[in-house]
Amino acid sequence: MADLVVHIIVPVVIFAFIAGFTLFAVYAERKIAGFVQDRLGPMETGKYGLIQTLADILKLLQKEFITPSAADKILFAVAPIVIFVAVFIGFSVVPWAPDFIPANTNTGLFFIMAVVSIDAIGILMAGWGSNNKYSLLGSIRAIAQMVSYELPVGLSLIAAVMITQTLNLNDIAYLQGISSPEQIYFMGVWDVSDIGGILAWHIFQAPHLLVVYVIFFISSLAECNRAPFDIPEAESELIGGFHTEYGGIKFAFLFLAEYAMMFLVAILGVVVFLGGWNSPLPNIGSLRLADWTTGLGWGIMWTLLKSLAIVGVQMWIRWTLPRFRADQLLTLCWKVLIPLAFVCLAISGLWRILVML
Amino acid sequence: MIESLLFYAFAGLAILSALLLVHIRNIARALFLLFIVLFAMAGLYLFALADFIAITQILVYVGGVLILLIFAFMLSNKELLDDLQPSSKRFISLPNWQAIILALAFLSLMIYSYISWAQHMPKWISQAEAKGRMILPTDNNIKTLGFKFMTQYVLPFEVISVFLMMALIGAAHLSRKESNK
Repeated sequence: MADLVVHIIVPVVIFAFIAGFTLFAVYAERKIAGFVQDRLGPMETGKYGLIQTLADILKLLQKEFITPSAADKILFAVAPIVIFVAVFIGFSVVPWAPDFIPANTNTGLFFIMAVVSIDAIGILMAGWGSNNKYSLLGSIRAIAQMVSYELPVGLSLIAAVMITQTLNLNDIAYLQGISSPEQIYFMGVWDVSDIGGILAWHIFQAPHLLVVYVIFFISSLAECNRAPFDIPEAESELIGGFHTEYGGIKFAFLFLAEYAMMFLVAILGVVVFLGGWNSPLPNIGSLRLADWTTGLGWGIMWTLLKSLAIVGVQMWIRWTLPRFRADQLLTLCWKVLIPLAFVCLAISGLWRILVML
Repeated sequence: MIESLLFYAFAGLAILSALLLVHIRNIARALFLLFIVLFAMAGLYLFALADFIAITQILVYVGGVLILLIFAFMLSNKELLDDLQPSSKRFISLPNWQAIILALAFLSLMIYSYISWAQHMPKWISQAEAKGRMILPTDNNIKTLGFKFMTQYVLPFEVISVFLMMALIGAAHLSRKESNK
């Protein structure tokens, strides 16, 4: 029975976290946009506009449910749920601290890849169900983009997994710090098992993994339909893309799913490449910084700090770079990222055989 | 208790949505029902302790095949699909009585095999149980699968990969633009 209570509490806590994160991420996004564009951003509601997003969500929740008369009622209503749940389940296998993970499965990484692909089905449902040409065009663009960019994401994760030899995200995080069960080598030469910190992260364990992380980061931006890859919801051409017809709480769920997806790819990149819950501070001689800053509370703090920093970079990029054209987007994916990812995959194999053995 | 409840929930979901899927006239909704069927099937694989197969099912069929199906459906002409509707009734032109015989034969085969298995458990199962060579939910099935693929089943594995490669090259060839001659 106690198990059952835990099974209920954990999703509720994660959901509350996502909702809170979305509230502040939207505020941060608008402030960053203001900073990049040399203006102030929201300032009216509350001190420095702090409760602006709270006011926005209250407005959204009060709104009437509007279903277009020509829409496919069932698909239209189900789509936001499918989209949100697809992203939400992904959080079930992400570790927050040493052995502090909702579901410690051997298939964690593979599970996230599979679950995120369900997101695409939800977007198609929304686009088709709205019965609106802009929605349909937006969802078709979204799928072309998501299906293409799933390949570089998958290949870059495989390149990392060939080094880690496990799909269990908890074990992957363990392999990047002082509590690692195996020897860790900085760039394959310098034994840093005792030193830990930033030197033991996967991106520094092999030189090509740094490139792999860049591939993963770029394609994860496209996976969550963020600028500069936001042609699915290009406002100037498609009004709002697949969520044109949505309003009220349904739109709130689509919005929640978008920000949850941003956080999910950020935390996934952190766990696989950037050390997960491991401290970035190394042990220096008798100054045992890594030993002091590893633990349950520290782990949660590091995971959160690193992921939020990555989310911050995502926002910074969104407001800095202009939008790609559809053909440029697919050219970048198929002619640059995928060949590069394949090269890194081959290097990973050779690295595992020649350097790590 | 919860496990069996979940199993019947998934099984019921799969059967009901499959029945609805073949009955429904709206192709778009039928495709999304197929999503539920495939998803429920993935849930059923979990009860056979085949977590890798379950996730592969979602990744390949839901994330790949089904999205391609819906994509093709959305890009096809609406009138073409309307023409398809009336003839689809006679698409598999089997009279009803034949279908019933087939279904009953299949059902009796399954009931027969269930009864015969319940009476005489095959020897290899009890032997494996005695030796403790069973798969547990906590086992790392992916590792076992990987080793088996690259050792015992390496030839079928390579044959399949060559076959997939052929399909890939064929698809690329078919979709290539013809050069102006």
